[in-house]
Amino acid sequence: MDQALAEAWEKYREGEFRGAVRLFEGVVDKLDTSDPRHLKALYGLATTHALRRPDPNREMATVLHRQVIASDLEGDLAAWSLLALARMKHLVSVGQTPDYNEAREAYQEVIDRFPDHRASHEAFLYQQSTYVVDMDLQSTAATLERLKIFIDSHPDSPYLSLLWALRSTCCETLGRPDEWLEAEIMAWETAELDPMNPLQDFAWNTWRIATIAEFEVGDFESAKTYYTRLVQEYPEDIRVHAAKAGLKRMEEMAQRIRKGE
Amino acid sequence: MVIAMRRSEETEPGVITLRFGHWQLEASVREAIDEMAADYRKIHPNVRIIQDAIPEMTYGQWLTTQLMGGTAPDMIEVGMVQYHLLVQYLNRYFLPLSRYVGAPNPYNEGTPLEGVPLRNTFKDGMRSSYYEEVQAYMIIPLSQFGIRIFYNKDLLKRLTGREDPPTEYRDFLAVCEEIKRHKDPTGQPYTPIASSKYHLPMWEYPLLDPLTYPLLREADFNRDGFVGNDELFVAIKTGRIHFRHPAIEARFRMLDELSDHFQPGYTGLGRDEAVFLFAQQKAVFMTTGTWDAWSLQEQAQGSFSVGVMDYPRPVPEDPVYGDLVEGPNYERMYGGFPIGITRTCKHPDVALDFLLFLAGKEQNEKLNGIIGWIPSVKHTELDEFLKAFQPHLQGVYGCFNPNLGGETWIRWLQLYSLYQVKKISFDELVARFEPFYIERGMTDFLEQQKDWRRGMHNNEQVLAGLRASALHSDGDEAQSYWVRYKTLLGSRQLWAEIGHARQMKMVMGELELPERGPYEYKEATLQRIRKHILGEAG
Repeated sequence: MDQALAEAWEKYREGEFRGAVRLFEGVVDKLDTSDPRHLKALYGLATTHALRRPDPNREMATVLHRQVIASDLEGDLAAWSLLALARMKHLVSVGQTPDYNEAREAYQEVIDRFPDHRASHEAFLYQQSTYVVDMDLQSTAATLERLKIFIDSHPDSPYLSLLWALRSTCCETLGRPDEWLEAEIMAWETAELDPMNPLQDFAWNTWRIATIAEFEVGDFESAKTYYTRLVQEYPEDIRVHAAKAGLKRMEEMAQRIRKGE
Repeated sequence: MVIAMRRSEETEPGVITLRFGHWQLEASVREAIDEMAADYRKIHPNVRIIQDAIPEMTYGQWLTTQLMGGTAPDMIEVGMVQYHLLVQYLNRYFLPLSRYVGAPNPYNEGTPLEGVPLRNTFKDGMRSSYYEEVQAYMIIPLSQFGIRIFYNKDLLKRLTGREDPPTEYRDFLAVCEEIKRHKDPTGQPYTPIASSKYHLPMWEYPLLDPLTYPLLREADFNRDGFVGNDELFVAIKTGRIHFRHPAIEARFRMLDELSDHFQPGYTGLGRDEAVFLFAQQKAVFMTTGTWDAWSLQEQAQGSFSVGVMDYPRPVPEDPVYGDLVEGPNYERMYGGFPIGITRTCKHPDVALDFLLFLAGKEQNEKLNGIIGWIPSVKHTELDEFLKAFQPHLQGVYGCFNPNLGGETWIRWLQLYSLYQVKKISFDELVARFEPFYIERGMTDFLEQQKDWRRGMHNNEQVLAGLRASALHSDGDEAQSYWVRYKTLLGSRQLWAEIGHARQMKMVMGELELPERGPYEYKEATLQRIRKHILGEAG
């Protein structure tokens, strides 16, 4: 059965959704509900119905996710199923606007029921992002405060870097350059790198920090630090030419200012 | 009735026959693969490699039918279909190679690459092998490519008296003028530059487009170091920049100047016509890539010498372009000749071993040496002729992409075609396109937003798959999946939604544009800089 589950997920990843459904259903049918693999198959089946293309079956997915939640009350998969239900409210069809209030309530349910679970941190992140998309200053300021509290109380959150990055977005919207720079640096410092992905590096983050420091904060020291890091750590990056130009520009400007020009 | 299948026909008892499909019809490629297969057979006598060389024009259709019909070769060159299809094909029909990229290539034993993880043995670090959408390494890149200007050394000397080609733009134009003043044996003026619709992008990308780099300062709203087509639209729609921006105008002016030296009607000509003109010694310069290096030398053999030169950029003192040229064009190391292993392959371990053989330092050098291409593996020697193709790893790049798709793009292509043949001036191009772009572009921009929304559903699908992988694994493997999961979640779901919302508000006039461009000093920042520096000095 473990093999069947692995194959079902493999089919899902390949986009062979019919095959995935058949395999997940096979496991569900063959195993007793007391077997933990029954629940895993049910979760896989719900996920496939929700996200299969081109004909997702959200109704069926909702029913199945609710079965997982009912069977697993405090368990891992229940948390992910509850988050999946919230995501379905947030990710609406093309041409529709999400009902953000409904999505926020659904995210809140994950947060309330599984406060320490990874899915809950993810739910919080998505929930807070819904307050930021409107660029409303009052709403963004309130989000910033909530993010500060969350980060302070969850310093080990697996989503810490993304939380800092969202905080940075809030500061950008609110026009608070110093806080923006601080949040951007923290997002960078807490980010993790996947050693298997050659396309992922921190060159972009380094560039962002340097340019925010130079053009928004006027903090040449920080800008110099991060431009230099970009040049040294990512010598083949497309932004290296611009980083070197930035270092030269700042040096020349500093000289001009000192000369009183 | 007996249906004889080629595959079974050619399989002898105990012999493993692997098919290798590609679109490289150049004789040297087939010869090189045959020779490498023969070398491989010396150490693996039971393995035979058969090539399926398919013309470029039909390759995409052939690939699709072969993959869908389950009859695809065991190893196959990946490409010639639209990117979104390619991703689907990779996902469905190809074997991921991720588990092998961290291990050393056994064929590198006894070389400086012995013990080095496979991905670190490639010049591009296997960036070209990794597909974000699949979250896996999918192909082995066997060669590298680059583009430069090829020139006829003998003709250049005969017509201009120069031993060396011009390295600077004004000098290049002067040489072209000089060439045009001479007539060939048939009494026709020589053509300075052999061009065609195939060759034009090889002037645009390295020489013309980098002139638009200054747009970055004003329109890179998300500070990623690029100006996307959406950002350009926002910038123009909001009046932050105009089509008459000096950088844009310069790009078109330079095309006008260069195309004066192309043969007449070049936009209606194809690759072969331009190559013919060059090979017949009726033109001095032609831009193309390493893939043509060997065949051009072959065609020139006994008649003339072929040289390779870099693009002649304007110098900083240039009266027109000097202020806009900030450096050479940026070129990234990127592997080509990408070969994947299909899921229908009966002997994937053997296919992988053959690809590792081709990717071994010495073998990759030999393979590319025969073809006349640049090896993709580090520490390899390359032909003296190809040294001019060493990429510029620092430089600038184009920031002008008006392609919003839909009718906007069609209108652009129509008008740009007229501009290329000098039927309309730059002023007319702008007058006829800019208002259309601003109005009709909005519809296409909104359509792009829908595409992005559709993409979010696909991303969600990938995320759920990654999450399942993370939940079903442990230790470093689980950690790696979670990192990938969070990276994708951030870049594709969170920031994309916020970024698009911000763009929409700017375009709709609901969000005020920042006082200055992202890489321009605001007055308040300047004051802080002064205060900080003077305070520091004091």
